[in-house]
Amino acid sequence: MPKSLFIDPTEARKKGEISFGKIPVNQYSKTIEQEKKIYSKDDFLRIYRDMVMIREFETMLNLIKTAGEYQGIPYNHPGPAHLSMGQEAAAVGMAYTLSVDDYIFGSHRSHGEILAKGLSAIHQLDEKALMNIMKVHFNGETLQVVEKGFKGDAKELATDFLLYGTLAEIFARKTGFNKGLGGSMHAFFTPFGVYPNNAIVGGSGDISVGAALFKKVNSKPGIVVANIGDASMACGPVWEGISFATMDQFRTLWEDPYRGGLPIIFNFMNNQYGMGGQTRGETMGYDMLARVGAGVNPEMMHAERVDGYNPLAVIDAFRRKKKILEEKKGPVLLDTLTYRFTGHSPSDASSYRSREEIDAWEKQDSLLTYSADLIRSGIAKKEEIEAVKLVVVDSIVKALKKAIDDSVSPRMDLVAYPETIGEMIFSNGSIDKMEDRTPDALMTMEENPRVQQLKKKERFGLDKDGKPHSKLKTYQLKDGLFEAIIDRFYKDPTLVAYGEENRDWGGAFAVYRGLTEALPYHRLFNSPIAEGAIVGTAIGYGMAGGRVIAEIMYCDFLGRCGDEVFNQLPKWQAMSGNIIKMPVVIRVSVGSKYGAQHSQDWTSLVAHIPGLKVAFPATPYDAKGLMNSALQGTDPVIFFESQRIYDVAELFHEGGVPEGYYEIPFGEPDIKRKGEDITILSIGATLYRALEAADILKEKYGMTAEVIDARSLVPFNYDIVIESVKKTGRIVLTSDANSRGSFLKEMAHTISELAFDDLDAPPVVVGSRNWIVPAHELEDHFFPQAEWILDAIDQKIVPLKGHISGTDFGDASIKMRNKKGI
Amino acid sequence: MAEAVFMPRLGQSVESCIITRWEKKKGDIVEEGDVLFCYETDKASFDEIAKVSGILLEFFYEEGDEVPVLANVAVIGKAGESVDAFRSSSPTTSAVELSAADSVNVNPLETSQHDASVETPSDEKIRISPRARCIAQAKGISIQGLHGSGPNGRIIVRDVESAGLNAPKAEPAVLIVPKAEPEAIKTVKAEQNVSTPAFAPIISNDDFVETPLSNMRKLIAKGMHASLQNSAQLTHHTSADARKLLELRASYKVRAEKGEIPNITLNDLVCYATVRALEKMPAINSHFLGDRTKTFKKVHLGIAVDTDRGLMVPVIRNADDLKLKALATQMKAMAENCRKGNVDPELLRSENASFTISNLGAYGIELFTPVINLPQSGILGVNTITYRPADIGNGIIAFIPVIGLSLTYDHRALDGAPASAFLKEIRNQIENLSNDLV
Repeated sequence: MPKSLFIDPTEARKKGEISFGKIPVNQYSKTIEQEKKIYSKDDFLRIYRDMVMIREFETMLNLIKTAGEYQGIPYNHPGPAHLSMGQEAAAVGMAYTLSVDDYIFGSHRSHGEILAKGLSAIHQLDEKALMNIMKVHFNGETLQVVEKGFKGDAKELATDFLLYGTLAEIFARKTGFNKGLGGSMHAFFTPFGVYPNNAIVGGSGDISVGAALFKKVNSKPGIVVANIGDASMACGPVWEGISFATMDQFRTLWEDPYRGGLPIIFNFMNNQYGMGGQTRGETMGYDMLARVGAGVNPEMMHAERVDGYNPLAVIDAFRRKKKILEEKKGPVLLDTLTYRFTGHSPSDASSYRSREEIDAWEKQDSLLTYSADLIRSGIAKKEEIEAVKLVVVDSIVKALKKAIDDSVSPRMDLVAYPETIGEMIFSNGSIDKMEDRTPDALMTMEENPRVQQLKKKERFGLDKDGKPHSKLKTYQLKDGLFEAIIDRFYKDPTLVAYGEENRDWGGAFAVYRGLTEALPYHRLFNSPIAEGAIVGTAIGYGMAGGRVIAEIMYCDFLGRCGDEVFNQLPKWQAMSGNIIKMPVVIRVSVGSKYGAQHSQDWTSLVAHIPGLKVAFPATPYDAKGLMNSALQGTDPVIFFESQRIYDVAELFHEGGVPEGYYEIPFGEPDIKRKGEDITILSIGATLYRALEAADILKEKYGMTAEVIDARSLVPFNYDIVIESVKKTGRIVLTSDANSRGSFLKEMAHTISELAFDDLDAPPVVVGSRNWIVPAHELEDHFFPQAEWILDAIDQKIVPLKGHISGTDFGDASIKMRNKKGI
Repeated sequence: MAEAVFMPRLGQSVESCIITRWEKKKGDIVEEGDVLFCYETDKASFDEIAKVSGILLEFFYEEGDEVPVLANVAVIGKAGESVDAFRSSSPTTSAVELSAADSVNVNPLETSQHDASVETPSDEKIRISPRARCIAQAKGISIQGLHGSGPNGRIIVRDVESAGLNAPKAEPAVLIVPKAEPEAIKTVKAEQNVSTPAFAPIISNDDFVETPLSNMRKLIAKGMHASLQNSAQLTHHTSADARKLLELRASYKVRAEKGEIPNITLNDLVCYATVRALEKMPAINSHFLGDRTKTFKKVHLGIAVDTDRGLMVPVIRNADDLKLKALATQMKAMAENCRKGNVDPELLRSENASFTISNLGAYGIELFTPVINLPQSGILGVNTITYRPADIGNGIIAFIPVIGLSLTYDHRALDGAPASAFLKEIRNQIENLSNDLV
């Protein structure tokens, strides 16, 4: 909502109409004679070689899957193989013009793209650079296998390396490009500009936009190509990615030199089927996919349908589109028409299409028509064409033999090293800045009005007599977050923050107040209301090498970015074999007062997913220290904040919140109050209800409670809690999450295991009810109250003399509620 | 549907319990949580709490009856429900043999052997938190009979802690009659607001009185019976010239009356002499353990003490280190503690003594066969002093005082000759007591 953009009612209400321009469809019409001016004989033949390489590679995989052998070499590959035979011209054409700095992202059907882009990069890189890349990758582990018995030059070696690294990855070998942890659907190799392929349809649709954002914000050379399927046009992440990529502000608000469209091509590899669903005529309504571009922005996304059966047509299109991006007029939508001969996967019998249709497309197979053109136009002789295949088959046989040989291509030894994968889940880095250069800012940090204002605040909540300072004079939790974040903006030049209402408004809860003045648009901006893209682009931004804070305004909106949070963000560090780092912090604000869809604590959902660090501070000191840790780290963090306590003062840390930089390590719970008789472990804002309960326990029942604030959920060090339970013998766990499946239950169970003999009663969970969150006026019946904690203690742990329970924690109630599912 | 009330099984070793008092009568309304009846094991007393509400339709055992664990004691149900089913089918019983087959049981129990394994674990009856269990174990507090103040009657730490203040050690020994036990029961009872059950005599006939055994009596009975059943004991008798003994006693008495020394009795002197004999001939200062004997390097002397509650045998540890005065003082203190009932139960364990002396001389007993406190190998019975003609030298026959000595020994541990030699050594020691012991 920038004030600089005036919305004129007269203008807005004016009569008029929207007109669309024309979208080219298969307009390429050059003859091979004309193309001879551009391509040398070597170029023409190289294009053919690359297509044959892909075809033969996938033929080999198809035979391994369906016949159990290739060229007399038997092998069983139980894993997936989504083949793209028929689509080779589209892949090679796409990669041909791309430089090594250009990134491609793909789908589950991207073997062809990996090879095409890899071969293109090998062609462009000099021998020294190639050797360096291969030697550095996993300290030459992959290279060593390829080098054995190899004769030839570095480019040939690199080609063998590409084939072997990809195949070993598909076969889950430790020597594969990603240590065998990615596999067929996720293999990639960033030094050649091949970024993660994605097994979730359209998964790359928003992640790739984040990589383009990284290139723009950090002035990196190159463009990004998202190779996604035609059926993914229906997916939310793709639409959201397109919406994000086409935001007006890139051209209207961002300052030079950052002004201008994102450098990304949404390249729909349109093989006309989404598994068995025919996109044109059955499952979609666009008639031709390229039409979609018309509705997105006035440039119609420079949309075009290109004949993906002709490699030269595709190259031509990419050459033209890349120029548009370089002129900062992107993004671009390409509808690259193609066809796959094989099924969705080897188990697909293609029952949804006729033999006649497949035959018709096979007759126009790009390998046949292109090679015939080369012969016809005198570029190559028939024997030369045939020789290409022989060389290729030879290379693939070589790669296959090595990739299936356990002695040179072992799998991870999870018997000898059972924690290998576990240790790859997090990178646990500690890095001040992702790149070393002066961060862009509009003023110094000292000049910042909020920084100046905070200097005057009381950094501890109580005066020397123990009385609270006035709220306005007191440093609050949101100030702690702000201090950590602004500090990092001045440390790490790659840091960007965005989400809904992040700029101008300062975030819906004023955490970012003061940042708008300090930061240019390209470091702090408002995103579309598209949580999928907010998180998805952050993933791409982190993958490409930047640090990012994305904000989800209400925890309840996590559902809107489920795939990004559950399937993408947590997975890529380990799936890459730890090549990729993911310094991505997702700030998630837990609401209250706003009913069923704006008040839920979903910490348990993300804590369940391996690969995410999860924090939920409840005090200003912890908020600042944990945010500092999150922003210093290299792992994805879901950082929960509670709207109920953005304004709390520091009441625990002696001396108040330090002005300087400090970190609170993830996973360390904190004793907020010492006690002897019972332990109360809380997550998030419920800390204050736990303290209230502790007060009542002391006053009314003479029991002292030890109150522990979990502070983070993943990781979590149980030592402090167990030590406390060993002392008290009793524990209540409480948070605002509804109790069924709450992370508290996980903790309660773990505590039971670790401290069984020390327990005087089972650990008891006091969570919210398994209902919708009702209106604010009824919330006290939904969220745990101090009294509930007492009731639970009285009924389940140790009867409190004279206590009258208001809530029922009895066995009968538990059974009844479970029986009813509430 | 009516429900049976079973006698709880309170641990592997408990085979039966005695109902000490019925709190409900037949036909009474019973609320869940009410005390139905009080019962005791050989170690402690408990209340049986009703687990269901209803009417006490029938009960099958009277106060004072010994009831095998898991036996059906009573039936609670709705008015008018038949209890026949409960009457006819006896529950799974443990291998208890009732001492009196013709006892007054309404429903005589099967004592068949098909029972060896009993399904119901006692833990199902005792709800206790793991922490409370650990603490009880560490402190040696028996959890049986503890009142659970936690949710659903769970025994929680505070219950164990309050019971732990005076509770008996959980480990019983054959002849140990822990003095603390009756008090502990009182403590628990007091907390439960239930008065101590009276062992009221049951008058079943004008001619006799039947009295249920006290726990102490049961322990003594069990111990003595076990001793005679499980060893090869026999007794040798002899007597020693008591002139020296009496002479010393007389002089000590004078000095004691002047307050110069503590009172030193004949028994003290005999004990002192016996310790010296044990030092010289340690074979009998031992435990017989079936496949081996354990011979002690020190003398831990058990002293039989008669108390109101019954026989107690406290031990004087390292009695061989004590001079006569110290021995006398300690024995006196120990006997007083026993009579007052505040002796450390550990000192009552027969395993902790290496040899025992029992003195019935004060009762005028001239000869008896004391019973060994297993696993000890021997026990010396000390009798009264009588006069007997003896050659006092120069062909003069005169009556001299002699003290009778009865040594019971376990023939499994040693043979008649060494036993006799040992007895002779005691006589020697008595006859040759030194003048300057004090």
